[in-house]
Amino acid sequence: MTAPHRHPSVEIFSMLFSIVYLTCFYMDWAPFRYYPETLRFHLRMTPQDGPAILWYGWVAAAAVVSAAIAVAVPRRLAERLWPAWAAWAVPLIIVVLVLLYERRWFV
Amino acid sequence: MIVVLLIVHGLLAVALLGAITHQAWSVVPRRGAAGTVSFVGRFRTVDSAAYATAVVVLFVITAIGGALLYPQYRIDVRTTLEDLQLRAANGVFEIKEHLVAIGLGLLPTYWLYWKAPLVPEQAAARRYLTWLLAFFVWWGFLVGHVLNNIKGLLP
Repeated sequence: MTAPHRHPSVEIFSMLFSIVYLTCFYMDWAPFRYYPETLRFHLRMTPQDGPAILWYGWVAAAAVVSAAIAVAVPRRLAERLWPAWAAWAVPLIIVVLVLLYERRWFV
Repeated sequence: MIVVLLIVHGLLAVALLGAITHQAWSVVPRRGAAGTVSFVGRFRTVDSAAYATAVVVLFVITAIGGALLYPQYRIDVRTTLEDLQLRAANGVFEIKEHLVAIGLGLLPTYWLYWKAPLVPEQAAARRYLTWLLAFFVWWGFLVGHVLNNIKGLLP
């Protein structure tokens, strides 16, 4: 039964956003990179332009992919697939995974 | 210009920190009705829902400010930290950028869960979403300030 107060599309967006972001970051994949020394965006790695910023690309990819899927999944299916607590539990798990992965800086 | 942006970014972060901390404290389960007279009691007896939109707006604007400052950080600060072999300082900033990104994705759900009328069955989800965002904001605030002042903090 559909709960009238739930917004499964929005919840899916938030859950997927963190998952897609983590995947992009872990795979070191970004749809574009920004090179602050030359003030230029590139679709591919361009080492001669100095250090790259991938974060903008990760955020953009997470926003676009999760929004597209959230809109595409029918409401009934979304409510059956994800319980309400997943809206906060999935991002929490992603945060724990991020913290575990980033331990590499402290050893 | 970059200094002005940095100061504005810091001031917005202070406002965000205050709003999310009030709200996060207000959703801590209470033991009995006592405690409203004390400073802590008054701190938590706020209209929690009233902070939600302000938190969303402040979070987005502060994140945009941080994103605009990021290129300067990447060129100047990060390379300095690498030269000084301060791996932990780089690490806490890496975590900060991840938490801000995840927080941005969380905002629509957080805002909807705080939208009136508040549904009692969603109280737990509201609480955990708020605490998650509060953790992100506190981490970002402390890391930002420590890194901004790191040359003065080091011996």
